[in-house]
Amino acid sequence: MTTPTAKLEFQHLTKRFGDLVALQDISATIADGEFVSIVGPSGCGKTTLLRIIAGLERATEGRALLAGREISGVGYERGFVFQSDSLLPWRTVLSNVLIGIEIREGRRPEADVQRARELIQMVGLGGFENYYPRQLSGGMRQRANLARALAINPEILLMDEPFSALDAQTREVMQSELTRIWQQGRKTVLFITHQIDEAVFLSDRVIVLARRPGRVREVVDVDLPRPRALAVKRTPGAIAYVDHIWRLIEREVIESVEEEKRR
Amino acid sequence: MGTGQDQRDASRTLSAISVVSGFALWELVGRYMGTGLFLAVPTQIAAATVELWRRGELLNHITVSFSEFGLGYVIAVLLGVPIGLLLAVSSRARATLGPWVDGLYATPVIAIAPLVILWFGIGIWSKVFVVASVVIFPMIINTEAGVRSTPQHLLEAIRCFGASRMQLFVKVMLPSALPFVFAGMRLGIGRGLIGVVVGELFGARAGLGRLIAESAETFNMANLFVGVIFLAAAGILLTALVRRIEQRIVHWT
Ligand SMILES: Nc1ncnc2c1ncn2[C@@H]1O[C@H](COP(=O)(O)OP(=O)(O)O)[C@@H](O)[C@H]1O
Ligand SMILES: [Mg+2]
Repeated sequence: MTTPTAKLEFQHLTKRFGDLVALQDISATIADGEFVSIVGPSGCGKTTLLRIIAGLERATEGRALLAGREISGVGYERGFVFQSDSLLPWRTVLSNVLIGIEIREGRRPEADVQRARELIQMVGLGGFENYYPRQLSGGMRQRANLARALAINPEILLMDEPFSALDAQTREVMQSELTRIWQQGRKTVLFITHQIDEAVFLSDRVIVLARRPGRVREVVDVDLPRPRALAVKRTPGAIAYVDHIWRLIEREVIESVEEEKRR
Repeated sequence: MGTGQDQRDASRTLSAISVVSGFALWELVGRYMGTGLFLAVPTQIAAATVELWRRGELLNHITVSFSEFGLGYVIAVLLGVPIGLLLAVSSRARATLGPWVDGLYATPVIAIAPLVILWFGIGIWSKVFVVASVVIFPMIINTEAGVRSTPQHLLEAIRCFGASRMQLFVKVMLPSALPFVFAGMRLGIGRGLIGVVVGELFGARAGLGRLIAESAETFNMANLFVGVIFLAAAGILLTALVRRIEQRIVHWT
């Protein structure tokens, strides 16, 4: 069943919280080296899906396979970047980046420290190795979170709305930084966002989810040339993709906003 | 730089003026109304301090009280922190010890000081026990609260790296509980000093509390205030010391 190049695969994944069907029959495949985004209105189950991949949550039905093996718990092969700032405030940037290595190895091999320094350089934090999180801006913290996720050299990088807490300009800079970094390593990435233009700009494919219950509405192949500069966002091709995806979920986004207003 | 430093200097000056004029007022009011049997003015207290020091009594009182406080406090911290950690991570420990801890924390344990004197005698160990038993509860409760208040998103983020329970405990819960532990230590200073004084009131050979009790019986107000002032100074200095250590260790807050 599993194609040899599939890095991550969902097979008829369903997740229920009591009566609430958060995810229903999600099937999708993400190939090795692919950058895939998931977009959908608030409450469609994006975070739940990611938590299942993380091993923090169990699917009610169906399964998720990572490199052909069923996911049954947390593990080192997955690197996470969360929306909320999850750096440890008592550790420096370097020390935060090394936490995954420490957990896996029980110590800090010199080679890994060297690699961590290179990663910090790569995400644009060179010179800030000994800074504490509180001394960094939101954008810099997310750079550190990215370096931390990459430091364990994961099979796949999972990002849950990592830029949503940033201001618009910083977000754009981080988007272009992420494509640059991805271009270098060609890590498989699953990126969750509710920003359609962000998904289009970053991805090879965009999985569009519908809500209540959360299910796959459409998978959009983004056929834009790489490497991409931010200017790509303003080309007719990109705008057409954004438009198309927006139309798929427009009604539901409005619904979800109305619902949040009522709460 | 400029304004911050200036402001700090200005507020320091103001504090100094406030303290000095407070003492001056005390002196004036005391002298004007006549100190009589129930008050002593700062100059009399200073003279009494010199006299007690010269006779070697003051140093003896300070040494005794400080030993009682120091031993009791250290015992309370060394026992309280692990007990707090245990209560936070084990629901069975919580169920077993929790009612006792909560109950005894609310009880004025100090009320059993006379009993403690009967158990341990009038030497320093009865006071060590009293101090330890009043300091241990804020230590236990703060440590437990500190571990429990570890942000969930930090725990999950580190768990995603495959961390074991032990690794989560050491790398996330312990450091994030530290500020609470220090808050407990600061709370414990005031409680511990009260423990020393009350313990000594009920029976002691020496100590600042004993000095206060003795002086009250003989209406020696100057000596009584010497005891009070040295206790106050101890509270201020110890709190500053713990705060200094706290800033060194919990530098990220
Ligand atoms: N632990 C949980 N218990 C009950 N309901 C939950 C839980 N986690 C998420 N949900 C519900 O599942 C739905 C999907 O949530 P989530 O995955 O956070 O959506 P998204 O990330 O797309 O905004 C929401 O309706 C949410 O209220
Ligand atoms: Mg979410």
